[in-house]
This record gives sequence, C-alpha cells and structure tokens, in this order.
Amino acid sequence: MMAMNNCARFIILTLSAMWLNVFFVSAGFATTSNFPLENIKFTQDQASLQRGAKIYYDVCRLCHSLKYIKYKVLQEIGFTKEQVDLLRGDIPISASLSKTSSDKMLNSQYGQVPPDLSLMAKARKHGPQYIYTLLTTYSEKEGVYENAVFPGIKMPDALNVANAIDESLKQEIKSKAKDVTEFLLWSSDPRAAVRKTIGTYVVIYFLILSVMLYFIMKRVWSRLDKEK
Amino acid sequence: MSKLMSWVDARFPLSKFIKEDLTDYPTPRNLSYWWNFGFLAGFVLVLQIISGIFLAMHYKADASLAFDSVEHIMREVNYGWLIRYVHSTGASAFFAVIFIHMARTLYYGSYRAPRELMWWTGQGLLLLLMATAFMGYLLPWGQMSYWGAQVITNLFRATPFIGDEVVVWLRGGFSIGDATLTRFFALHYLFPFLIVAVVLIHLVALHSVKSSNPSGINLAEKDNIPFHPYFTAKDFYGLGVFLIIFCYFVFFMPQFFIEADNNIPANPLKTPTHIVPEWYFLPFYAILRSIPDLLGGVIAMGLSVMIFAAMPFLDRSSIPGGARYRPFYRVLFYVFVIDVIVLGYVGAKPPTGVLVVVGQVSTFIYFGLFALLPFLSIKEDKWLRKRGLPAEVDVLIKSESEEIEKKAKKNT
Ligand code: HEC
Repeated sequence: MMAMNNCARFIILTLSAMWLNVFFVSAGFATTSNFPLENIKFTQDQASLQRGAKIYYDVCRLCHSLKYIKYKVLQEIGFTKEQVDLLRGDIPISASLSKTSSDKMLNSQYGQVPPDLSLMAKARKHGPQYIYTLLTTYSEKEGVYENAVFPGIKMPDALNVANAIDESLKQEIKSKAKDVTEFLLWSSDPRAAVRKTIGTYVVIYFLILSVMLYFIMKRVWSRLDKEK
Repeated sequence: MSKLMSWVDARFPLSKFIKEDLTDYPTPRNLSYWWNFGFLAGFVLVLQIISGIFLAMHYKADASLAFDSVEHIMREVNYGWLIRYVHSTGASAFFAVIFIHMARTLYYGSYRAPRELMWWTGQGLLLLLMATAFMGYLLPWGQMSYWGAQVITNLFRATPFIGDEVVVWLRGGFSIGDATLTRFFALHYLFPFLIVAVVLIHLVALHSVKSSNPSGINLAEKDNIPFHPYFTAKDFYGLGVFLIIFCYFVFFMPQFFIEADNNIPANPLKTPTHIVPEWYFLPFYAILRSIPDLLGGVIAMGLSVMIFAAMPFLDRSSIPGGARYRPFYRVLFYVFVIDVIVLGYVGAKPPTGVLVVVGQVSTFIYFGLFALLPFLSIKEDKWLRKRGLPAEVDVLIKSESEEIEKKAKKNT
C-alpha cells in the first residue's frame, strides 16, 4: 500500500505542477474589458451546427472568411451533397468559404479587414464564451453602438441585438448567437469529436494496462520476499 | 540463433552488453518511484523525435506557409492532429518529467560524488532541451511564437560592445522573419540528436557509477537486484501511469498548453498585449525581469539555470541520503520548490505593483539558498555528527560497509 501512496503522490505532484503553471499563464490573459463572459455550454449537436453554418453563411460571410473550411467539409456536419451544391453555386467544392465583400471595401468601411473566423474559437481565451457574449452584448444609445466585451469594436451589431426590445426576439437572437458560435467552435477544430472518441478508448486502454502492469510488477517483486 | 549470437559476440560484445547493462545490471532494490523519471524522460525523448519527424514531413518552414501548414496537418493529414498534439503536449511533458527528475536528484543528493559527471551532463541536457523547445516554439508561426522569439533573441542585445550585431546574426535579419524560421527549423531538427548523444554519455556515466538510492549509501551486493525483471516491470508500470495522464491531455485538453494568441498568425505589426513564454520558462523569465538592468537580468537568468552545476561544490555535507537524513537541507529544498513556483506565478503576470517586489524577493531567495548551502551544510554536518545520526542510518551504514568489506576480503 505504501507503493500506491507514493505513486498517488507523484501523480498529484506532476498534475498540480502543470496545472498551476498553466493556470498562471492563462490568468495573465484578460479580455479587452473585464466584462464577465456568459458561461454557456456548447454541445456540438448537428442540428445546431447546421443552423450555425447557415447563419455564418447568411450574415457573417459578408465580412469574415472561413479559410480553413472547404465546402466539401460541410458534409461532415450532416449537410447532404445537394445542400452543399446549393450553397456553393458554381464555386468549386474544394474551395474555402470566402467573404463576399472585397478587402478594399471593408478596409474603407471599418479601417481593417475583419479577421478570418476559422480559428476564432481557439484564438481568444474562453473562445466560444467570448464569441457568444460578444455577439449578444451590443447596445445602442442615441445612435451610438457599443459592445460590453469589446469596447470600441469596429464590427457592427451583426445580429441586431441592440434594438431587440421584445423578449422573444431577444431569445431568438441569443439562440442564433449560440448556433453560430457552435459552428465556429466546430470550425476551429473539426477533429474534436473523433479525437474525444478515440481518446476515451485510449485512456481506458492505458488504465487497464497500468492496473495489469501494477500486478505484474507486484508479482515479479514478490520473488524477492520469497528469497528471504 | 545461438550460432548467430556467438558469431556476433566474437566480433562485438553484444551478449556481454545485454547481460551487464540491461538484464543483469545491478540496481539498488530500495529505489522509489521517484527513480522512474529518468526512464520516462528517455521515453518522451523518443516520442518527440518520432512525432517530430512525422510533423516535418508535412510542415513547411516558410514564413508565408508555416501557419497554414500546421492547420493542414491538423485538418487534412490523416491523424495529423494526433501527431501534432502528441508533439506539443510532449514538450510540456518533457519538462515536467525533467523537473521532477532534477528535483529527485536535488532531494536525495544524487549529484554528490561520484555522480558529478551525471549531474553535469544532465545540466547540458537541460540547456539543450531548453534551446530545442525555444526554437520549436517559433515553428507554428503564431503570435506568441513570433513575439516570444522576438523578446528572447532581443536579450542578446545585452552582449557588451557587439550586442546589436549578435541579435541580427541570431535572427538572420533585423527582426524575426523567414530567415529566423528556417534556421530555427534546421536547428530544431538537429538538436534532438545532440540530446540523444548526450543521453548516451549520461547513461555510460550511470552504468559506471550505478544508480544512487534513497539511503544515499553504497549498497552491498545483496541489496542490489538485476534490472530485469524487477525494474523493467517497475518502469513499465510507471510508463503506463504516465501515459494515462499524457493521453488525457493529448485527447481531451490539447489546447491546454497552447496560448490562445498562438492561434493567430504571426503579425509583426501587432504586439500582443501580454507576451508570456511557455510555462517551463516562467521561473527563469521572472528572474530576468526582476533585475532592472538588461545585462544584469540576462546574467541572473543564465546563472539561475547554470547554478545547478555548482551543487556538488556548494553542498559540503558528508551525511548520506540527501534531504532524507538532513533536516536543514530538507527545509532548504522545500523552500526552493515553493520559491520556484512563486517565481513561475510572477513570470506569468504583467510586472506591476507588488508582483515586482515579490519577484525580486523570490529571486533573492532563489540565489540566497544556493549561497547559504555551503555554510549550512557544514554546520548541519557537524551538528548531526555530534548528535549522532538516526539509529536506522547508523545500522545501515555499518551493515552495508561490513558486507562490502567481507566481499572485498573474499576476493583478495
Ligand atoms: C459588416 C461586417 C461584419 C459582419 C457582417 C460581421 N462582422 Fe465580425 N467583425 C467585423 C469587423 C470589422 C471586425 C473587427 C473588429 C475590431 O477589431 O474592432 C470583426 C470582428 C469579429 C470578431 C473578433 C473580435 C475580436 O476579439 O477581435 C468576431 C469573433 C466576429 N467578428 C464574429 C462575427 C460573427 C460570428 C459574425 C456573424 C454573426 C460577424 N462577426 C459578422 C465585421 C463584421
């Protein structure tokens, strides 16, 4: 049992050392403002991903590209080939999703080219929560728009939350924001689902293997006690 | 088979090597799990080299292609995400394992005679590992890659007289750019093989002086057991436990060790609000920043890494077993560990307010502990001798040395 104790001790130590340090690092990052992010959970279910893809396609695509996502990859979230064909028109199926406005126009309008969104969910701390909160905290005061998470943001109120007074409309916009965030989360790491599935098996495998190795070790070492 | 073996043995000491250095290699039976980490470090080294070679098959060391090529690996290469996350998590695992390995050596005093060369080759390995990790971190060409490299190479500006030239020479230009990326890639591919070479030297030294053990006393033959099957079994069990933790990070939290900012392509025109190095550099980085003067800071940081090499000289105690039988040294050890963690915290935060003071105090304590050691170890040695060692140690020393003497007499 002493052995188990030692072992547990070193696992805890290794883990806590890693956690502590990385915790320090991530604690160093703050969002532009200190506005608390809404802590919602993302489920990555296909219906939501598909709705999110459509919202990206209809709204965000005006200004944001999604350069690491190709049309054909959309089939991975359950779109049929026909649906993808309908979306892309005469754009090749292996082309990436690109924005519809020109860089020049965007530059003159917003003073910059809006960032690509493929990795956005990983490129901000608490990425998905950040995007969701960003999209849902626009407000308007006497014609001036403001955002709670990103004060002075150049992006207009894409989902029109600022002027949604009606509660049911507000809820609808929030669920839209969630869907598009789900989609962006998927875009940032399309292999996440398969990674977790494989990971479950791998970790279980090593758990069982370690238990077996532990008993093998005990058995081998017991020879020493017999000698005495 | 045995015919083939004897053919080889007539020309190369294969059987002898296998017997003396692998299967029958005498190992102290009382090694604790803390002695598993050398083997684990070797395993992670191999893992990094293999995953690294596969990454290099798809990676493009070109400032305009590097970031995209990493995303290509993540999305289009078969199991590319796995190879990449194994490699990126492996870097952190390597340092975690090495830090524990070093802590074990410090705690049990394994750096003392006759194992100074093991400690010094280990020191060389630490430097090579740090250099390799630093250069590897530039390769994904994200914001933190770029600005981290910018900040660290800039430190060489502190070189007297030719500082600016040295920086340009290192970077291959006035700032980090394509030339830096290609040379870092070339060296990042080379260094692991230098590490392998130094590891071999480390192991040759080990097999000449043999493993230390928690008692710190040379054990007689009866207390040494063959490496195989006892320690192969123990090392593989340790490896299994390590892999559970490692795979958990690889499959479930692979972004844990990757800065959010590094998912933004490098942009020379936009400095991130807060540049932080990887977690394993934080304590040293904190020491750098604690000294207001650049040259002084660089020297202090260099010293903080290199000072470990002085341990065999600083520690004057002749009491065996390191911290185990030495109460003062044990306190020093734990204060040091806590101090390093505090420094890590300070290194991760922007240098403002109290944290500056905390950093400076911790830096002072860091070096102070090393400075205190020679005096303290002599005092402690005297005190312990006067007071008498714990009974169990005395008995152990006596019985083991009697045993060794008996054996020596028999042989003459
Ligand atoms: C009319 C053009 C336009 C549309 C439509 C638009 N954006 Fe933006 N977006 C911008 C601009 C401009 C920026 C840069 C803001 C800045 O840096 O000030 C931006 C920035 C962002 C950012 C990054 C904020 C940061 O932290 O830097 C996110 C996330 C984002 N947009 C998400 C979306 C989503 C999701 C949609 C669709 C619902 C969308 N945008 C629609 C113009 C647009």
